[in-house]
Amino acid sequence: MKIFLRTFIVALLLFVLATGTGFAAPKEVKIGVIFPLSGGLATTGKLLRIGVELAAEIVNNKTENIDIPMAKWEGIPGLGGAKIKLIFMDHRSDPARGADLAKRLIKDEKVVGILGCYNSSVTKSVSTVCERYGVPMINSNSTSPPLTTRGYKWFWRTTPHNVTFSHDLYKFLIGLTKGKSKGVGKVPMKDLERIAIAGEETEFGATGIKVLEELAPKYGFKVVKAIKYRHQSPDLTSEVQAIRASNPGVVAFIPYVSDAILFMRTFKSMKFSPKIVWGQDAGTVQPGFAEGLKKDAVGVLTRTVFVPKIAEVKPVAKQVNSLFKKRSGEDFSGTSARAFTGLQTWAYVLNNAKSTDPKAIQKAANALYIPGKELIMPWKGIKFGGEQKGEMGQNILGSGMIAQWQVSPGDTVPHLEAVYPFEYATAKLIYPFPKWK
Amino acid sequence: MGFFLDAITSGILMGLIFSLIALGLTIIFGVMNIVNFAHGEFLMVGMYIAYWCNVLIGLDPLFGLPFSIAAGILLGLASYYLLVRYLLRGPMIAQLFGTFGLMLFIRYLALFIWGPNFRTVSHGLLMGKSMLLGNVVVLDLSKVVPAIVSIIAFFIVSYVINNTKVGKALQATALDAEAASYMGIYADRMNALAWAIGGGTVGLAGGLMVNFWYITPEVGLLFVMIAFATVALGGFGSIKGAFYAGVIIGVIETLVGVKAPSFKFTIVYAAYFIIVVFRPQGLFGWKE
Amino acid sequence: MEGIKGAIKDALDFSDFPKSERIGIIIFYIYLLIFPWVVSSSFARAVMIQFLLFALYGMGWNTIGGYGGQVALGKAQYVGISAYTVAMMMILFNIPFWVSMPIGVFLAVLWSFMIGYPLFRLKGHYFAIATIAVSLVLQDIFRNWEFVGGERGLSLPFKGTPNFLYMQFKSDVYYYYFMLIFFTLGLFYMNWFRKSRLGYQLRAVKANEDVAASLGINVRWAKIKAYAIASAFVAVGGAFYAVYHMYIDTSSVMHLELSILIALMAMLGGAASLWGPIIGAAILVPLDRYLGSWIGGAKGLLGLDLIIYSIIIMLVAALEPRGIWGIVEKVRAKRG
Repeated sequence: MKIFLRTFIVALLLFVLATGTGFAAPKEVKIGVIFPLSGGLATTGKLLRIGVELAAEIVNNKTENIDIPMAKWEGIPGLGGAKIKLIFMDHRSDPARGADLAKRLIKDEKVVGILGCYNSSVTKSVSTVCERYGVPMINSNSTSPPLTTRGYKWFWRTTPHNVTFSHDLYKFLIGLTKGKSKGVGKVPMKDLERIAIAGEETEFGATGIKVLEELAPKYGFKVVKAIKYRHQSPDLTSEVQAIRASNPGVVAFIPYVSDAILFMRTFKSMKFSPKIVWGQDAGTVQPGFAEGLKKDAVGVLTRTVFVPKIAEVKPVAKQVNSLFKKRSGEDFSGTSARAFTGLQTWAYVLNNAKSTDPKAIQKAANALYIPGKELIMPWKGIKFGGEQKGEMGQNILGSGMIAQWQVSPGDTVPHLEAVYPFEYATAKLIYPFPKWK
Repeated sequence: MGFFLDAITSGILMGLIFSLIALGLTIIFGVMNIVNFAHGEFLMVGMYIAYWCNVLIGLDPLFGLPFSIAAGILLGLASYYLLVRYLLRGPMIAQLFGTFGLMLFIRYLALFIWGPNFRTVSHGLLMGKSMLLGNVVVLDLSKVVPAIVSIIAFFIVSYVINNTKVGKALQATALDAEAASYMGIYADRMNALAWAIGGGTVGLAGGLMVNFWYITPEVGLLFVMIAFATVALGGFGSIKGAFYAGVIIGVIETLVGVKAPSFKFTIVYAAYFIIVVFRPQGLFGWKE
Repeated sequence: MEGIKGAIKDALDFSDFPKSERIGIIIFYIYLLIFPWVVSSSFARAVMIQFLLFALYGMGWNTIGGYGGQVALGKAQYVGISAYTVAMMMILFNIPFWVSMPIGVFLAVLWSFMIGYPLFRLKGHYFAIATIAVSLVLQDIFRNWEFVGGERGLSLPFKGTPNFLYMQFKSDVYYYYFMLIFFTLGLFYMNWFRKSRLGYQLRAVKANEDVAASLGINVRWAKIKAYAIASAFVAVGGAFYAVYHMYIDTSSVMHLELSILIALMAMLGGAASLWGPIIGAAILVPLDRYLGSWIGGAKGLLGLDLIIYSIIIMLVAALEPRGIWGIVEKVRAKRG
């Protein structure tokens, strides 16, 4: 007992010394990053992590041939050249675990802020902790609309959310009927009118369905079937049968990777080909989806915020993507590119705040403006606002796009081509969705 | 009507696959009263073996089956001799959690070694081929063949257990291990045999499933609860029970799934609960 | 009056434990009391709250699972019922925690009677799987029930200022002490319970149901009562979870994994002993959280934390099926 007490006192003294002397001009600035690094979303977590790490490295070291100012910073100039230090935590998709880890990052690791958390449910619980402690949190990947309508003062979101994305789908379909898409003539409305929605049974899928259902009549579409299913389900045959029976022209998915793969395989075995198959990001956008399905993925549309082909029109994206590919062996996807942008936003905010004081960071974040040309995303920029729409801390300059999996001759694994907005289309649209052989 | 037939057909096909997964579980239970939480992980390993056979030596998943079976048998034997033997001394709850630990161990070892990526076998003799029956019912070959193999496996296992010396010894151990040991039947060996059969059949199921399912270290999780419900509904230890219960669950699941997908497994579990309250030993159970 | 006095005396009386153990317990309890003052790490506090919560869950499970020997694996549904009750009452009617918690516990106990009655027709593995099945059914219903937020879960509204009535505090220290109070009350209750009539009846049932019945014990009723007590314990924990995390969904408060963890911790520490669930939680909760935060975020070591965790579970289950408390009892037996 005595020994225990003694070691304990010594440890306590060391701890006090260590924390007491740490207040001088920061040599490094800690950002806590909470992602699903293991568990069912581990594949996604890996890519998120590489995206964030790459952004930190570009900020911390002089990087040649990247036309973003931060590549020349070598640390954060506003903080006397302090380097960004990332502390990764794994929430395993569990909101309670995420909240505990956030406390650890905030109170023990003394991070100046948090980046995360991918799953909307975990983002909810972690942002609650941040709000309670008054610590800034930037969210780069959660698209559940209510996150920014809670009136939180310490929460900012760089990505557009599902309402924006759902508008995009309908605008795209309307565009098709007007013959706006490259390589496709006017499509009769009756081919597209009937929409079936299948959403994965979590926060992400449930709100996704709701938004799509609400918007459909405004654009003149009819939702003929809306089903929720469990993504960890040992069988999805009956779901596909239900969709097929409703005879839709458009099938809209809100899936994760595993179920997206399974759905397409079941479509194939049932020889079911609607006119359009569209996925709401997450599952249909990741390279794993195309690798799992190979040529069977061709023709699937996905809502995204980024395609590697953007590089053709956006030099910055090309430069950063080549670095990303070196690290991960894959191109940027909407998921990893947004994570990159999340940390980039943190760097800009810290630079403008010129201090690690939460109040200064809050002020800097609310006043932030990053012009579109400094982003790898095809956005007009990053600026938080949206109060007039009842939102707080939502990036109002973000936008979505729709891409399609297509395959080049000689390749086995398809890649994404942008098809919407129509003016940025990088390839001809494949329409209708190919019949199964 | 065609729609209904279609749902029933695919329910039966999927159900037969559930039956095959549950077969090993019920045999192990019958012989030694242990529920194996790691059963889904055995399935996962079987799937990975078939996948690697396909990727590394280009073997069609159908011809990779012997390797999956062998891997399942080895895994079953290793689990028995290294862990389960020691669990037998403890109460039921310790046994449950011992195999629960085994489940976590195999799953996360697979994650550690193979990483989290989703993998699929994309080319094979059965893949993407289907037949139309009377223009309404679609028969997906990648499910028809596993379902047929499942029936064959049930035949073989039932035959072995009912008509061979070894099988009878296994039954004797299941009925009363102590009495059987007086007859010169070593319970230990019989237990090991049960784990070998259990592992082998579920390895077979894994090898078949790569034809239509994706592979990740977490895949076992999806099937283990269904396998539990199958075994419990049919009656713990009953081979016939596992067979019919699997089909029943498959049909309930697809029929409900067509109308209310969110509740398809809810109904399965609720049905289990109601049936078992009225028949506490399951449909075909002979053991309490 | 006499009865209550006797019960309180029983609850406070730990004299049947050897002196050395009692001293150990007192030191441990003093450590719990001063913990927030000696350890300033906020993560450690969060882990400690988690430990107390799981110790409470485990103590509850111990009544039916430990003393009664019934492998109940669906306890998460009762956590969920009361967590949802507390959250909904606050969101809809602005009802304080101290009013909604008893209601949540009451509803959980009510449900446990409704389910317990048919459930205890079953035995052994049929019972174990059936408890899981019922819990899964309830989770599915909540997940699809728009009124309680469905898949989106429920966020509790912020009150702005720290508020005792709604259990909203800025610092975890307050939550810690409230949890410690629940834990202490639970511990005293369990100390009484093990010496109570029902406690002895359950042990008899566990040893041999037929003999117990022939002694005039209503076996099924004894099990149902113990099951209800267990549900009340976890329901208190569930209500606390809701106000502590301020966000609940079915996968955080009703998931099968939670049910299994509750039983696992009690089993690992030692079922059917007063200290077992506490020891189990004291080992598994920090192990899981610290391993997870050290290794879980590290590169290239994916899954290693859970591999270590699983090896410990297997070792205990294989080598000492009575749990860690079993080792203590062995040592005790050798000495005396």
